[in-house]
Amino acid sequence: MVQQSSLLVNPVEPNELDEKLRLIPQDDEDQGINCVVWKAGLPSYLVILFFIFLFVWRKGRVSRRGICLVGLCESGKTLIFSQLIYKKAVESFTSMKENVGVLDIANKGALKLIDIPGHERVRQRFFDSYKNTARGIVFVLDSFSLNKDIRDVAEYLYTILSDPVVSSNRPQVLILCNKQDHPLAKGPQVIQSVLEKEMNVLRNTQTNQLEAVAEGGNRKSFYLGQEGKNFEFADIRSLRVEFAASSAQTEDLENLKKWLQSVA
Amino acid sequence: MLDFFSIFSKGGIVLWCFQGTSQIFTSSVNALIKAVILQERTGQLSYDHDNVTLKYKLDNEFELVYVVAYQKILKLSYVDKFLNDIHMEFRDAYKNELQLQQFGKNFEISEMFTSILKSAEEWGKLQAAAPKVMKSFEESQKSKKTVASMIERKGDDKENKKVKKVEIKVPDVKIPEPINVELSEEDLIQQKRREFAEKMAAGKNKSKPTTEKLKSPKAASKKSKESRVWPLGGAPKDMETLDYTKDKDLGESPLPQQAVYLPDPKAIGTLQGEVRDMDFESESEEEEEDVEERGKNDYVPQQVSQQKKKTGIFSLFKNLVGSKTISEEDMAPVLDKMRDHLIAKNVASEIAGKLCDSVAAKLNGKVLGTFESLANTVKASLTESLVQILSPRRRVDILRDVYESQKQKRPYVMSFCGVNGVGKSTNLAKICFWLIENNFRVLIAACDTFRAGAVEQLRTHMRHLNSIHPPEKHGGLQMVQLYEKGYGKDAAGIALEAINHAQEAGIDVVMIDTAGRMQDNEPLMRALAKLIKVNEPDLVLFVGEALVGNEAVDQLVKFNQALADYSASENPHTIDGIVLTKFDTIDDKVGAAISMTYITGQPIVFIGTGQTYADLKTLNVKAVVSILMK
Repeated sequence: MVQQSSLLVNPVEPNELDEKLRLIPQDDEDQGINCVVWKAGLPSYLVILFFIFLFVWRKGRVSRRGICLVGLCESGKTLIFSQLIYKKAVESFTSMKENVGVLDIANKGALKLIDIPGHERVRQRFFDSYKNTARGIVFVLDSFSLNKDIRDVAEYLYTILSDPVVSSNRPQVLILCNKQDHPLAKGPQVIQSVLEKEMNVLRNTQTNQLEAVAEGGNRKSFYLGQEGKNFEFADIRSLRVEFAASSAQTEDLENLKKWLQSVA
Repeated sequence: MLDFFSIFSKGGIVLWCFQGTSQIFTSSVNALIKAVILQERTGQLSYDHDNVTLKYKLDNEFELVYVVAYQKILKLSYVDKFLNDIHMEFRDAYKNELQLQQFGKNFEISEMFTSILKSAEEWGKLQAAAPKVMKSFEESQKSKKTVASMIERKGDDKENKKVKKVEIKVPDVKIPEPINVELSEEDLIQQKRREFAEKMAAGKNKSKPTTEKLKSPKAASKKSKESRVWPLGGAPKDMETLDYTKDKDLGESPLPQQAVYLPDPKAIGTLQGEVRDMDFESESEEEEEDVEERGKNDYVPQQVSQQKKKTGIFSLFKNLVGSKTISEEDMAPVLDKMRDHLIAKNVASEIAGKLCDSVAAKLNGKVLGTFESLANTVKASLTESLVQILSPRRRVDILRDVYESQKQKRPYVMSFCGVNGVGKSTNLAKICFWLIENNFRVLIAACDTFRAGAVEQLRTHMRHLNSIHPPEKHGGLQMVQLYEKGYGKDAAGIALEAINHAQEAGIDVVMIDTAGRMQDNEPLMRALAKLIKVNEPDLVLFVGEALVGNEAVDQLVKFNQALADYSASENPHTIDGIVLTKFDTIDDKVGAAISMTYITGQPIVFIGTGQTYADLKTLNVKAVVSILMK
């Protein structure tokens, strides 16, 4: 009984009801005005949406936080990776898959460290999937066995530097001369000059290669450096290439850490 | 008894390692990884290196590899069981860490390892001690045969005779019946045979009528004997064509030295430096075209896919609800379809089977994500495997190597081998054109001393190439020279002399053209091995045509084996690279590329796509794999 009365406390009187019902058709005019306002606002909404999209997209580009560790097999990439991420040296075998870890840089946020397997068959595939997010590329090479492997090292380095995505994203490149603990290892300056001579020859042979069967529109490799002049790393206008020495075995990674600080 | 056991992640980080002896196993494990896993031979679970056998197990859920190594001479039966047990135990014990991929943690599992190893060894002892259980009838081979094939007769001849006797009896018995006059006697016999066959089909023997039916259509086709007509058979009308007594009026005299070798101006300079790319239709255009074709070709697979759609809907819900682990039975139908697709694209059937086994091993136990379907995962994994197989495992840059040899003042020697008629001489000429466009001088050694016209063919190519690139353009030096000693001589000797001549004359590249030979012709294979051994070329190229199917496996295996066996040295020089020819004739059935690279593990160095000098290309791995998987 009480409940019933509560319902009747605020009864809707017939005239109010009619008014309420009438409100709906009467709103046509108001709705018409609302439509106009909304239609006028539509382009502004689009513009706002566009700016939001642009902001998010720019943010995505700027926040490329990946560092790719590349290099030939047995150059020490996985060991460097484990020392940076796990803070200890681990034994390792030939990597079949990439290793991904997060590195915190003091005052500058986190970098994603990606160790890409060096084996010839898989390295292109993994590199292709991570090159878009690369803020920096660390090319690890074995300073001791460079004489034997110079052609393979140079070819891989050339492939990376002339990759169109890398050229357009312009990550910073560090060529890390690893295994310096070995007594007969060469220093970064010597390695730089040897590599430059080799890349000079490679420039000509790579651009004279045969075209590939069923290739897509644009040509894969670019001509590095300046034409007519001997190849020098300083000549590559789109990328900044630096050299540094390190020894993962004795945990001497100071140069690498400094470079990471500067890249982050 | 195990010398070595290790658990490591697929990224290479070792989680735990046991070493029974002081021998270092790193190189063996690396060799295992490079030879088996990265070569997509994961179907094969054991691998021998030095005198150690390595057995491994992949854990695809947490991306781990379990490896066991023991001496090759021991035959341990419990290793598989041990691997499975320790896989289960390790997984259960460290599931959380593995899921978060915390590989830096110290995994202490020595007690787990010793206990499981002990139990596995005991199991092995029990197995060895237990008496051998006899196979039940279902497991035996006999139950799989049909009854008809098992009916023993004294010999197959007698069986045929018996069948024939019965057939001959039939017309004798049934001729008195009223017959249709229009049928010839032979047709009558066919008809009677068919009736008899149907009668027998109602009885016990079910296999006989099939053989009868097979015989009847063959016999029925030879209804009437037509007289054979030989073309140019000496009839009077052929007289004019067969008359070679006087020169016919050809308009001009044959072999005008200048006119024949007029260079094709369009071809000059096309292979130098930047070259234009071939057209590759974009995916969307091709899909529109394919939609119509699909209706015709994919009749059978549609039924299969419809069935799969029904289960696909349920699996979609399953995927939304929880994660699904892939098992062998789930993958079997998808893999069968993939295998048939590959075979339809001209991949050798053995290779297609091994590839599917490898994909199964890589995906077994893997956990599917929420919106991934099984078919897509399998397809993606197969595409990855194909890309991996086609990617060269060593650097392929011939110009760089020739330049290196130039610096060392010795010629770069390339030899071409292959079976008959694959295009060795044609592609040799094309590669020669490419090299002279890049300013290297070439000497062609005509070591095909068997086939008629081989030397003349090479001489024609030499003259043509020299007229395209005349000595005036290259500082007075003749770019292409031919070294030949006629027919019937020893090929290895000619090659040796050619290389010496090139060394003296300062020629950059020597290309050795050999005679085509079948892979099971032992004396010819010996001769080829001798040529390779004596001359030690820098590059041994196997020339194979893209049209070949299952035969590719046989050719390459036998060629490699012959080069290894007949070389009588520690490190035989086997095939270094493959030239895939006649690529323009195969449309989209590009499977031969896969078969050849899988067998040898060597890269495809050149692809021949036509008859002109400019029709030489390299391999575009992604494009070929996408054509293969379409």
